[in-house]
Amino acid sequence: MAFLEISSVTKSFGSVNVLKDVSLSIEEGEFVVFVGPSGCGKSTLLRMITGLEDPTSGTISIGGEVVNDVEPAKRGTAMVFQSYALYPHMTVFQNMSFGLRMAGSPKALIHERVEKAAAILRLEQLLDRKPAQLSGGQKQRVAIGRAIVREPRVFLFDEPLSNLDAELRVQMRAELMELHRRLGTTMIYVTHDQVEAMTLADKMVVMHAGRIQQAGAPLDLYDNPDNRFVAGFVGSPKMNFLPARIAGSDGQVLKLGGIGGQGAASIQATLPRDVENVEIGLRPEHLRMVSGTTPANGALRLEGRVVFCEELGAESYVHLDLADGTRVIARAGRDAAKMTDTAVLTGDLDRALLFSPDGARMRGATGTSA
Amino acid sequence: MTAPSRPRLTVWTVLKWALAILVAIIAVFPVWWMINVVFSLPGEPVSINPRLWPTSIAAGIEKIQMIFAETGYLRAYGVSLLYAALTIFGVLLIGSLAAFEFALFEFRGKRVLFAVIMLSLMVPTAVTIIPTYLLTSSLGWLNTMQGLVVPGLASAFGLFMLVQFMGAIPRDMIEAARLDGASHFQIYWHVALPLCRNALVTLAILTFMQTWGNYMWPLIVATRPEMYTVGQVVGLFNAPLSHQTVDVVMTANLLAAIPPLLFFLIFQRKIVEGIAMSGTKG
Repeated sequence: MAFLEISSVTKSFGSVNVLKDVSLSIEEGEFVVFVGPSGCGKSTLLRMITGLEDPTSGTISIGGEVVNDVEPAKRGTAMVFQSYALYPHMTVFQNMSFGLRMAGSPKALIHERVEKAAAILRLEQLLDRKPAQLSGGQKQRVAIGRAIVREPRVFLFDEPLSNLDAELRVQMRAELMELHRRLGTTMIYVTHDQVEAMTLADKMVVMHAGRIQQAGAPLDLYDNPDNRFVAGFVGSPKMNFLPARIAGSDGQVLKLGGIGGQGAASIQATLPRDVENVEIGLRPEHLRMVSGTTPANGALRLEGRVVFCEELGAESYVHLDLADGTRVIARAGRDAAKMTDTAVLTGDLDRALLFSPDGARMRGATGTSA
Repeated sequence: MTAPSRPRLTVWTVLKWALAILVAIIAVFPVWWMINVVFSLPGEPVSINPRLWPTSIAAGIEKIQMIFAETGYLRAYGVSLLYAALTIFGVLLIGSLAAFEFALFEFRGKRVLFAVIMLSLMVPTAVTIIPTYLLTSSLGWLNTMQGLVVPGLASAFGLFMLVQFMGAIPRDMIEAARLDGASHFQIYWHVALPLCRNALVTLAILTFMQTWGNYMWPLIVATRPEMYTVGQVVGLFNAPLSHQTVDVVMTANLLAAIPPLLFFLIFQRKIVEGIAMSGTKG
């Protein structure tokens, strides 16, 4: 049994089912990130682990003990809120020591723990300040310090960096990773930012519409998504989805036509039943601009109208509209800006993924040129 | 208030100041007249040739000494202060406990209960005073401190005001305290109460003003001289058959007005802050 086990958990608010049959195992010391769009149930799941919400059905166990009926404070979890939730009338020291004081811990222990946490988070100089006198990053550190002081078995972070500016967010992300390395405690982190999730997670849990879509190492999810949602959600810029029509099948080879309105390709896959149309998933880095008009060896050829170009310095992303109106993004070098109205693309079909109309991944598909 | 950025004197500025000064005079004049009457020789301020300034400090002091020495004024002061202090304490305690529940937690019948309490604000005191008197009387609380204090403890207005403040406390903060292991009461005591301190101070001042100036309820429930409040004693001085000259009556009035005046002068900033901030606590 894993350290933290979520078994068949559902949660309903009235007639609204927020979580539907969620099961997940988390090992001790793992850094797990729940990621998904707003309203996917990730925060609710976090709140249920800490005990602020009760599951409608199913069980949650920590360290082998079912905690469904255990008081939040006694579960051994500590949570860092998006709003920091610092007590404005207390100093940093009082904020960090609040939990220990409520538990009636001896003064010497309180001082020792707070000073230790303050040293880890470089807060020693700020212990006498009130939250109003702190910057956003400092407040965030105090909120983390308040969690550390309790020496929990599981740290829970509810979108803790979303109130910070971009630069500080990157810095705090690095600090969180360092903190995890140093403490070795299980951490569960909720975010809607997939870049944050990719950079932090040992295990990334993608959620959508109250269900776990896929859980695994970030790069596994990036390379090998289970469905169209995960494929589209993980990665920035997001994966291109090209509609295609099944033109025929030759044993293990599926012939596709009308890709983006005009292209044709063959992909190694078995002919699915009752399916006429599929979608090809290709990441921007697997789409190439080709100079001239003919891609080599008659590979997948797509022609598109250049809509705009995002220049990021080392590289640029070109946004194009294909013949059928599908918008695709292709990674290009610095000279992409010189592009004129139309451009020709070719795709790296070995990296292409196939999705059936219901969004499921059609596995075992690798492409060859038509 | 915006600071005037233009040094130029406009008609509008002059009118504004004239109006403000006029209002100030209207507000201050009765108090000043009271002081004038007290600290003058008897009859002088109301003579054919009245003066607008005090003429004899000694005469005033003599009248104050006479009132303290010859009437039960000092005892009434004690009764009134205790009455006000206990009422403030009770109103704050009961109001804040109830507001904590109403503002931050869900429970069955919450909306209906709150609506009923708010409806009670619309019932005039005159309607409830007789049933309240009968109840107090049947409890055997006539001429007792609890008879004075207890019926005034449940303040719908106080509850309303504190609910506005506590409702603005972020839920995250309450949940953080719960995760920190604070009990329900500890959350109230360590988190909710300190966060609405300004509202509590405002409510305390308003309750003091109301209790100190309350005339009708003490008059009905405390009929024995030893339980008279300041209001009642001043009432005796003002009574048609009291045989007191106007300057002595004014002295009694002035003495009664001093505590609320002091209270207001000390806390006026808090009062304004509290009223201005209600519902926008951050």
